[in-house]
Amino acid sequence: MQSNQDSDISLLNINQGVSCLTSGVLNPQLGYDCLLVGTQTNLLAYDVHNNSDLFYREISDGANAAVLGMLGDISSPLAIIGGNCALQGFDHEGNDLFWTVTGDNVRSLALCDFDGDGKNELLVGSEDFDIRVFKEDEIVAEMSETETITALSPMYGSRFGYALSNGTVGVYDKTARYWRIKSKNHAMSIHAFDLNSDGVCELITGWSNGKVDARSDRTGEVIFKDNFASSIAGVVEGDYRMDGNTQLICCSIDGEVRGYLPGSQEMKVNLMDSTAEQDLIRELSQKKQNLLLELRNYEENSKQIELSTQVNEADGQRGVIPANTQLQTALSVNLGADSQSAHVELCISTSNDTIIRAVLIFAEGIFEGESHVVHPNLQNLSGHIRVPLTPPKDVPVDLHIKAFVGYRSSTQFHVFELTRQLPRFSMYALSSPDSVPHPLSFVNFTISERVQRVVMWLNQSFLLPEDAEFQSAPFQVCFTFLRDAGQLCIKMKPCGEISVSTDDIDLAGDIIQSMASFLAIEDLQVEADFPTYFEELRKVLIKVDEHHTVHQKLTADMADHSNLIRSMLVRAEDARLMGDMKNMKKRYVELYNLNRDLINGYKIRCTNHTELLNNLKAVNQAIQRAGRLRVGKPKTQVITACRDAIRNNNLNMLFRIMRVGTASC
Amino acid sequence: MVTVEPPPPGRTEGPGEAVVAAAAAMELGLALARVDYVQVGVTSQKTMRLLPASGRRATQKVVIGDQDGVITCFGIKKGEAVPVFKTLPGQRITRLELGGALNTPQEKIFVAAGSEVRGFTKRGKQFLSFETNLTENIKAMHISGADLFLCASYIYNHYCDCKDQHYYLSGDKINDILCLPVEKLNCITPILACQDRVLRVLQGSDLLYEVEVPGPPSVLALNKGNGGDSGEEVLFGTSDGKLGLIQFSHSSPVHKWEIRNDKKRGGILCIDSFDIVGDGVKELLIGRDDGILEVYNFDSTNDPVLRYDHALSESITSIQGGCVGKDGYDEILASTYSGWVTGLTTEPVHREGGSGEELKISQEMQNKISSLRSELEHLQIKVLQEREKYQQSSRSSTAVSAVPAFSVNDKFTLNKDDASYSLILEVQTAIDNVLIQSDVPIDLLDVDKNSAVVSFSGCDSEPNSNFLLATYRCQANTTRLELKIRSIEGQYGILQAYVTPRIQPKTCQVRQYQIKPLSLHQRTHSIDHDRPMNTLTLKGQFSFAEIHSWVVFCLPEVPEKTPAGECTTFYFQNTFLDTQLESTYRKGEGFFKSDNISTISILKDVLSKEATKRKINLSISYDINEISVNHTLKLIHPKLEYQLLLAKKVQLIDALKELQVHEGNMDFLIPEYRCILEEADHLLEEYKKQPAHLERLYGMITDLFIDKFKFKGTNVKSKVPLLLEILDSYDQNALIAFFDAAT
Repeated sequence: MQSNQDSDISLLNINQGVSCLTSGVLNPQLGYDCLLVGTQTNLLAYDVHNNSDLFYREISDGANAAVLGMLGDISSPLAIIGGNCALQGFDHEGNDLFWTVTGDNVRSLALCDFDGDGKNELLVGSEDFDIRVFKEDEIVAEMSETETITALSPMYGSRFGYALSNGTVGVYDKTARYWRIKSKNHAMSIHAFDLNSDGVCELITGWSNGKVDARSDRTGEVIFKDNFASSIAGVVEGDYRMDGNTQLICCSIDGEVRGYLPGSQEMKVNLMDSTAEQDLIRELSQKKQNLLLELRNYEENSKQIELSTQVNEADGQRGVIPANTQLQTALSVNLGADSQSAHVELCISTSNDTIIRAVLIFAEGIFEGESHVVHPNLQNLSGHIRVPLTPPKDVPVDLHIKAFVGYRSSTQFHVFELTRQLPRFSMYALSSPDSVPHPLSFVNFTISERVQRVVMWLNQSFLLPEDAEFQSAPFQVCFTFLRDAGQLCIKMKPCGEISVSTDDIDLAGDIIQSMASFLAIEDLQVEADFPTYFEELRKVLIKVDEHHTVHQKLTADMADHSNLIRSMLVRAEDARLMGDMKNMKKRYVELYNLNRDLINGYKIRCTNHTELLNNLKAVNQAIQRAGRLRVGKPKTQVITACRDAIRNNNLNMLFRIMRVGTASC
Repeated sequence: MVTVEPPPPGRTEGPGEAVVAAAAAMELGLALARVDYVQVGVTSQKTMRLLPASGRRATQKVVIGDQDGVITCFGIKKGEAVPVFKTLPGQRITRLELGGALNTPQEKIFVAAGSEVRGFTKRGKQFLSFETNLTENIKAMHISGADLFLCASYIYNHYCDCKDQHYYLSGDKINDILCLPVEKLNCITPILACQDRVLRVLQGSDLLYEVEVPGPPSVLALNKGNGGDSGEEVLFGTSDGKLGLIQFSHSSPVHKWEIRNDKKRGGILCIDSFDIVGDGVKELLIGRDDGILEVYNFDSTNDPVLRYDHALSESITSIQGGCVGKDGYDEILASTYSGWVTGLTTEPVHREGGSGEELKISQEMQNKISSLRSELEHLQIKVLQEREKYQQSSRSSTAVSAVPAFSVNDKFTLNKDDASYSLILEVQTAIDNVLIQSDVPIDLLDVDKNSAVVSFSGCDSEPNSNFLLATYRCQANTTRLELKIRSIEGQYGILQAYVTPRIQPKTCQVRQYQIKPLSLHQRTHSIDHDRPMNTLTLKGQFSFAEIHSWVVFCLPEVPEKTPAGECTTFYFQNTFLDTQLESTYRKGEGFFKSDNISTISILKDVLSKEATKRKINLSISYDINEISVNHTLKLIHPKLEYQLLLAKKVQLIDALKELQVHEGNMDFLIPEYRCILEEADHLLEEYKKQPAHLERLYGMITDLFIDKFKFKGTNVKSKVPLLLEILDSYDQNALIAFFDAAT
């Protein structure tokens, strides 16, 4: 800690890149805030008043995000950090009171009373686009978003705001999204603050273009905005001027800081502009003008109908088409050919001689941007368009289709808008059960559901050429992955035993989660075996051990070297003072060589560390995957049991848990 | 609960100054409040005027004509628009002017619609319907006493008492017309604003002289409303946003002042002079096509200074100062593209904002809002019925569905500053989305003020020849969209924009824009004849019209109409490299001279392709001047050096800034570095302004290299990597030596 009497700023040097920072009351006995500093390897809880460490812990999974507060039934406040697939919570003594894993690297955390039971749940936003809600270490909800979740902010009650790396911000209430907006800029920071004093927090967003806006939690409507000259660095609240008024404080990357006091009760009508009525009038007039335009459109249309009932090419140019023109769409699996890999095909066609000039598909997560366009050239125009789709992930996607329909020479087209849903498992083609070898890995479980309901789930989740009509068990369906030609087999026996065979453990997890939510299964224990995956995991675990050993050895080496350096430096300086230039030079050359060795050692350490992190991530992911094969209580049990097994370094136990779900026989 | 030592109050000063609660900006003491009066249909340029105040009343009536052909005249009583008269719909109104006998109040209303001029009294009684003999629609109109001046695309006609007087055919499109005040000068001096950057002064049917202006003039206005003391002063505005004043004395013009468009604002659509400040001197009121309204006043040397600006969200089509809303308070009245009539009034806002004070919504406002609401309800019901009917018709097999065209206001222009095109699309209602498609490789650049979410879609150049497919999904209430496009010379084709507004039934309109082979060239008035030139000569059995159409195909800013006479010459300048092109052609032969060998090469390729398409036998010969290559390289040199230096400096900024923060001051740095730190903001801005500038320069040098040897008949494509290596460690002499050596 450097402290300078002349300066108002005290600096605390961490000597490492700071990856997350938060503050709050960690020790209720102390009664004041402490500072939490997370880096890629350590977490420091720091008592600013006494200039002392509360604790300093090594965090092997890194700390990407941190939050401080009460969680569930745990009695003391926790410093919760999210790293590579792992979540850890520490009390003020640095005791590890909370640990669990999640699907991918954690990017954002928030505490919020999600289910209204008076206790906080932990919201976790991660790089696999999911927001997960942990009731202590049990996942109670999962919401799929369309990009990495970069920020989460509790609003009040079960409502919380979120921001994505693609410029989206929005508000959820429990699992339902209230609203969201997407901007071409990026949301740098979000914060909940009641700016208009109506008793409800607004979502304040600081944008990369320097804009700050406050949006109503309910509608997303902008109630206040301001502009900075450069990107916003952070948005916080506090009584900065020590006058008893809490302000919203925004800071830009250029160091410009602005504070905003909440508006008074009377002003809540409108903060945007003092000319609220003017805006209202403008808006109403615009509406009126739009309605008048629409009316005129219909009038002109009926005039046209009186004039001619036959459509010819000249009319086509003005955008006249038969009124009964319809647009048909069909989704199917295309196994591909030499020039084109296998894909899902969306077929769009008109019902008469009109042509489709272009098709715009807006959908999230399956294209590079948010849209895909098919625009045939003039020679290739027709009433049919085939659009190849290759969703990279198994999520249900809404396709918002806009088709421009007219004639060849049209300069104005009718826009047909419709929405189709792409089923969750659309990238799987039905195959015959006998044609291919059966996958070795499987998951078995028993459910007490009618066969028809399972078939319904099949029809809804897969793109089948025609709806499957199995009236009774046993039955068997097999699929080929379009992405990597792997196999998937789902068998159901009369007793209700279902077996899912696939070598892809993620897919098995997805199928179980999807089926469980469709059939409303609350708890599900399974028996699973993934021999190849488990073998890989075993190798990874061995590697983790090796890396740990290397790490310790390197650290010891470094300590030796630094002692040597100290003495060498003293000797070199001595020589300099004595005027013994020859010896001094010799010493410094030695020092230089040693320094080079140190740098090399450091590089090795870095590589070693990165590999270690990757392997640890793989381990965490494996635990998460084993969990995803189960639902409800068994899921939590598996995750806890796996962790205990790793802590005790009992590998056989670990694999046993992954297979049957419990540690005991 | 924060227990960290609070910062003392002094801490908040300096660069991180804390501003508590944003205060409304007051622009240099001129505070104007915005009032929206009425909305009519879509309006064209210069279609709104204020009638002179008459009788006891001091407030003026507003008269406006729209593209539905309706003339609306209204006054304001207690904040509400009270109609005086309204005509029936007809042909779109392109101009609206006031007239009357000279030296009497100008209160007769004249409108130009189609090829017809109609006259109305201030009460709405039609007294004139004059069907002109023009074959095209009237584009511009001026009225002075009994004299009527009309312009169609290229044609100027002067009528006196509706009788033909004079006629003139202009070389390029006429955008506006004006006549110097007859009362002052006692002679008729019409001035035409022509697209080829020239103001043409006429006498009778003949051209008196031409004046060059810095951009395509879009609007003319008499200075101070009367031509100044001499009556010879005319203000002009250009479509690239420049503004100037010229005095037209009988023998020659005098340029008084010019304002460049440094802030990159929109093109100028309307100009008026009015004393809005009330200091006895008339200020200049300007309306632009990006919705910026500006007020200039004049300093001691009579140069204009920007005093106030206000941003409306769409093109300002007409502007005039007067007294409309309330007796005793002057205001600036503007009409916008979608038909809004908006006032910026000096009447203070009768609301005391600020904490504690309750906002008073005046009774007038309340009434206005409730009447609008009830009107809306009625409309909604009616629309629902019609919608139902429309849906029903879709079940019939004989019915057709025809939706009338909506109006799209578009502008596609080349910016000289960064050699890029800007495409502006404006629709009368909110835009839902725009699809941009191009069959040539072009770059679409981000425009800061756009809020639309852009998404680039994968393209299939084969077989559908798409090189760019991008969608712009607009935020609610976006009526105007601006895009920036960078083209490459030699690659030509068509850019298409499919515009879908948010209106039922949903339709979209496609607009096409040519990306010409020499897309970065701009018309200029003169060139430097001393440069080493390469010449391309065409000879063959082609007509004057044919070769003109080829030139139109190759180069921007050439009028489509074949020029009068037997032979014509156009001069062009490359906006990126400043090389030049002279094209002279007549029936059977054409000469193209340029100091840039690549320009000649592109022309040669395109012209021979065009001629082959029409099966015309063409003999092409060229005369290549070796010195011209080195000359072009020398032209590029300063640009390249500047860009390289800029890139180097920008690279250093971050490191230097960090040093500055750590050391607390920068006295220890060498002056060069200190200079970089001082200019950091400026440098970064400059760097950001010209993305990929260096790459473009490299591309052009490579083209130059290939083209030089193409004319010699050798293919040097294999040597291009070597060239790029030389460019990476750029040295002018090494580059020239490489060009000379590689044979």
